[in-house]
Amino acid sequence: MIADQKTRSSKAAPAAPGVHPRRLWSVRPRSDREAGDAVVSNFLLHWFPAKSYRASLAWSYSFWLGTVSAALLLLLVVSGLPLLFLYVPSVERAYASVKDIEFVVTFGSWIRAVHRISAHLMVAAVFLHLVRVFLTGAYKNGVGRNQKRQWNWVLGVALLLATLFLSFTGYLLPWDQLAYWAVTVGTNIASSVPVIGPTIRELLIGGRAIEQPTLIRFYVLHVLFLPMIVGFLFAYHMWRVRKDGGLARADRAVASSEPRPAEPSPTKTYTLLGVARGTAPQIRASSLGSPAATVNSIPDLTRRAAIVVLGTIAAVGILAVFVRSPLEEPANPIITPNPAKAPWYFLWLQEIVTDTTVHIGPVTINGAFLGGVLLPVILLALLTAWPWLDRSPAGAAGAWFAVSRRRQNVVFLLFVLAVLVLTVIGTFLRGPYWHFYWPWQPWPELPSRI
Amino acid sequence: MKDAKGRREFLWKLGIGSGVAALGAQTIASMRSLVPNVSYDAPTTVRLGMPHDFPDGLKFLPDERLFVFREGNTFHAVSAVCTHLGCTVRAEALPQPETKTVEGRPTRLTHRFLCPCHGSRYSGDGANVSGPAPRPLAWFHLSVSPDDGQLVVDLARPVGRDFRLTVA
Repeated sequence: MIADQKTRSSKAAPAAPGVHPRRLWSVRPRSDREAGDAVVSNFLLHWFPAKSYRASLAWSYSFWLGTVSAALLLLLVVSGLPLLFLYVPSVERAYASVKDIEFVVTFGSWIRAVHRISAHLMVAAVFLHLVRVFLTGAYKNGVGRNQKRQWNWVLGVALLLATLFLSFTGYLLPWDQLAYWAVTVGTNIASSVPVIGPTIRELLIGGRAIEQPTLIRFYVLHVLFLPMIVGFLFAYHMWRVRKDGGLARADRAVASSEPRPAEPSPTKTYTLLGVARGTAPQIRASSLGSPAATVNSIPDLTRRAAIVVLGTIAAVGILAVFVRSPLEEPANPIITPNPAKAPWYFLWLQEIVTDTTVHIGPVTINGAFLGGVLLPVILLALLTAWPWLDRSPAGAAGAWFAVSRRRQNVVFLLFVLAVLVLTVIGTFLRGPYWHFYWPWQPWPELPSRI
Repeated sequence: MKDAKGRREFLWKLGIGSGVAALGAQTIASMRSLVPNVSYDAPTTVRLGMPHDFPDGLKFLPDERLFVFREGNTFHAVSAVCTHLGCTVRAEALPQPETKTVEGRPTRLTHRFLCPCHGSRYSGDGANVSGPAPRPLAWFHLSVSPDDGQLVVDLARPVGRDFRLTVA
């Protein structure tokens, strides 16, 4: 027993006196040391650092797009809660319940508009956040130790995907024409995967036709699974920001404004840790930043965060008063709307699946697979792996349009531009039968029914 | 002493191992429950009505997403489900009927089909002409029900484009 305890404690204690000897904190600490650990490793107490770099807080560096996304997520959760009580996930009653929310429930249309506008804006904000991080090379590690910013980039890409899936699953719930045909097209894209495609589609929609099992599956994904995943990813994302020493911009501030002193620098003691551990960790004062480069996070960081969060809430709240959420005719498997358009953020994909069916001799590859599965997967894989492919020097981290990253920034922007152009074409320039129409060209009069 | 330690180690691994196995089995069971064993989908064999009630030319049956063609006393049925991504195509009458050789026999085409989702076009026999559609529209087997003489389509039984049902 004694021998066992010995081996255990020697396993638990790291060779160097680190900050986190335990992975999780104890709820019932048995010693001062454990109590100290509980404070040190508590996520909520460490969301913000004590000091922040002025450069990191600049509006023009990050545009605070990540904070905007988080505020929108908060709005989505809060506005989703009352909708949970009002919406009925059954094919007979879903449409009527959304209609009630829109026209009967007091403030119902406003709550639904807040939810819908936040969802649309969140897709945009998360995408723009990703663009900003790419253009500033903020997924690159700078001068700090143990930085793994590339993994935070991967988390970010996963969060973008989760956001898109949340939008897509939420889209189906009103069970109107828009919903029904978006899901028809979306799940048929999944079924275009060779061999396993049809099985994936059957699992997704719970059968061979879009029916009650489909609605309940998408509903559970939308209100339970995907929010849970986003919650975990978001917490991990924020935690990594802190572990990586804040924004990449901060590394630059350290590197440029504070040349490392040749002499051993003065040390600072955190009293709590000193008391709890008996050993005080020694932190180089230079890593805390000079007073000129840093400010206290409270209030400088928290004030700006509050401005962004409250500003986002105010903007969405006011916008929701004026912008009504559409509700099309009830879902009708018999009639495909003409044109049948996906939500705007998927229209670039709809454009691609339209144009990518290729005939090579007798072999035909469905555009649904090429443009709807293969191309997005390749793009996503490239995006995910990019931090490892990017060979630019560490100095390029946290700078807008760094010279050493010019070529990749240009290529990335071309991709972004292509997506935007395809989105604009799909949104404004496509009419009945997916024909091309200029905005000033009238659409032909077509019978709505055959 | 050494034996006791070995036993403890073994029991520790056994405990963790059975825990993981139990968790895994329960996860598989939960996931398997999501794979439907019974399909409540609409039946694939559908009665369409008496043959003489069909007009000469084309009739669209929205519930079955099917076009039924009649030429005198011969019938054939073409699916209205686009082979690209499953939207329902729409029929558009041609200004002038055309005659095309389909699978070795001359066929009179009165319509063409257009998909509203991604702009695929099909000729009147269902052949994909332009747009992203990778395959022609499916043709389905037609028969006459022996009991009441109604036209019956089998939506699970695609047939070649030379299929014709002749009703006496």
